[in-house]
Amino acid sequence: MDRSTDNPILETINLCKRFGETQALHQVNLHVKSGEIYCLLGANGAGKTTLVNVFLGFLEPTSGTAYVNGRDVTGDGLACKREIAYIPEQVMLYGVLSGIENLEYFAELATGERQDRSRLLAHLEEVGLDRQAAVRRVSTYSKGMRQKVGIAIALAKRACALLLDEPTSGLDPKAASEFSQLLREARDRGVAILTTTHDLFHAKQTSSRIGIMNQGRLVTELDSQELGNADLEALYLQHMKA
Amino acid sequence: MIRRIAWREFIEFIRDGRLPLVGGLFAVLLVVLLAVGWLQESNLNSERSAAQGMDYNDWLNQKNRHPHDAAHQGMHVFKPIPRLFLIDPGIDPFVGSTIWLRSHRQSEVKFRPAQDLTGLQRFGTLSAAWMLQILGPLFVIVLGFGALSGEREQGTLRQTLSLGVAPQQILWGKALALAGSLALLLLPALLLALTGAGSAIEQDRLDLLIRLILLGVGYALYLGIAIFVTLAVSAVAPSSRISLVLLIGLWIASVIVAPRIAADLSKAWHPNPTGVEFNTRLDNDLEHRYRKVWKEKLGTEKRWGPELPLNRWGEALKVDDHAGYEVTDEHFARLWDAFALQQQSQEWIGLAVPVLAIRGFSMGMAGTDFFHHREFAQAAERQRRLIQDTMSKDLIEHADPLGNQHFSYKAGSSLWASVPPFEYSPPKVGFALRHNKTSLFVLLAGLLTWIGIAHLAMPRSA
Repeated sequence: MDRSTDNPILETINLCKRFGETQALHQVNLHVKSGEIYCLLGANGAGKTTLVNVFLGFLEPTSGTAYVNGRDVTGDGLACKREIAYIPEQVMLYGVLSGIENLEYFAELATGERQDRSRLLAHLEEVGLDRQAAVRRVSTYSKGMRQKVGIAIALAKRACALLLDEPTSGLDPKAASEFSQLLREARDRGVAILTTTHDLFHAKQTSSRIGIMNQGRLVTELDSQELGNADLEALYLQHMKA
Repeated sequence: MIRRIAWREFIEFIRDGRLPLVGGLFAVLLVVLLAVGWLQESNLNSERSAAQGMDYNDWLNQKNRHPHDAAHQGMHVFKPIPRLFLIDPGIDPFVGSTIWLRSHRQSEVKFRPAQDLTGLQRFGTLSAAWMLQILGPLFVIVLGFGALSGEREQGTLRQTLSLGVAPQQILWGKALALAGSLALLLLPALLLALTGAGSAIEQDRLDLLIRLILLGVGYALYLGIAIFVTLAVSAVAPSSRISLVLLIGLWIASVIVAPRIAADLSKAWHPNPTGVEFNTRLDNDLEHRYRKVWKEKLGTEKRWGPELPLNRWGEALKVDDHAGYEVTDEHFARLWDAFALQQQSQEWIGLAVPVLAIRGFSMGMAGTDFFHHREFAQAAERQRRLIQDTMSKDLIEHADPLGNQHFSYKAGSSLWASVPPFEYSPPKVGFALRHNKTSLFVLLAGLLTWIGIAHLAMPRSA
């Protein structure tokens, strides 16, 4: 696995996706390097989730290419998925299994080998789920707790890239803040993170770079350090009107 | 990975109560039906064996009498119940098992070959086989209808696919979980069946064991089809609710409606006569043939007169009997062949309606199908002819030299004892397999087809 900071872990080149008459992605070029959090902003239908689905191999590009750690997602989809951890808006787990059982299951599917339970429990603790919570059935978990299990799965998988689709949507501020902290920790370990969100504050708080999408196009890319909150909001609204 | 998916699925079956509740009920019912079948088989066999002995004893202990009177009394033969009747009674409850071997014509007292509704076409004797054939697929549906549609609804399928798990691995994991659950539930029944087969003393144990293994293979193929049909439908159904509705609809169509249509179709393609038609045609042909052979062999059609005195009665009986054998053989062969062709058509319809294939195969391996019955009926007829020929031969040897003492001759115990008791060994497994290989092939082809369909139906994304 190439984790050189110079090479992008997630990359698209002239990526297009069309659904009938609708151009969901239009000539999208982006790259996310190791140790970087790239935040995609955009209104509903802007193409953010479509982009994530292309990286996951759930959608085939109409033209252009998407790469995960140098591999073309259309050529070697399964291998690409093994490099990625995906956290959707709502991490879906098996309700009749406990948190640790879910983690054991998904970690084994992700890595192809059975993992040591104590190590997995440590991952759960790392993301803020204590042992008592870990052995409870997931059907009793809050959304925030499920998201944490999702992060723990990513940790157990040792993925080089994280794809997050509106991960903080519906989380209370405390849970969202904890989640952002977990993302920063992952970034510090060298993971490339691509996250979609509507939450400008979350984007500003966590991202290394921000991209704004509108009607399938990546209309602008910004270094978050260059912008204050007010600027980002104004810029976002300006692009949405365009 | 497949095993891991299967194990997780299995844990879910247990924890959400589907396996313990529905499966437990299924397993208990199956064991009860097997136990009842075993009891029934044991009782019937001992009753029949006792009756067979008593009947032969009656034959041996007849008073001195005219041989033709003895031929009219005849014998009864009782079809031995195969040990695997406990699993599948097949057509036995419908075709009867006792045949009266009497003079002049093949008995059809207990086998009613020309009735409109044949044993081949009937449906629904409560037995272990019925449970497996009818309720087995329903149980698979209950366990598996949401296997993929439910996971898609919950979002766990997307989660799993995003990890780089191949859809085929998910499919086989789920299939393994369903198969494992079925195996677990069938284990007690299998042990009971093995014990039942092992305790058989009257039947070759190795033969029984092979039959039991083949039955297992047949049902594994059949339930395998049910598993992959369920998974294929669950994979394409947009929701669990629709998946359940589709599967229940398919179940009703394939195990309840289609077999009846198939029976009617096979009868239309290969019609068999009604009882009245069969008897009328047989009587007419017999009458015609009797006249013809009397003319040829005895020089007259007129029964008894100066041209054919009564002291040639034994000879005339023999001519009658042998002419009758040919006619009866022709008629019964046509009838049996019509049934065989009906069964064959149903076997091929089994490609679309697998319950037809497993039904035939199961009866065949249990030794309770039409072909086994035909073997028994033919063996009984051979015994009847032996009695007739022995009696006629004795009459010829003791023809009346005086011309007026035709009925005063009386044979004794030595003649009765010259007819051996009826011994019948049911055909071996090779016979059963030869007659049911199409069903086995159809089941295998059905399974492979549905595995292919399920593979194609598996979602690549969610």
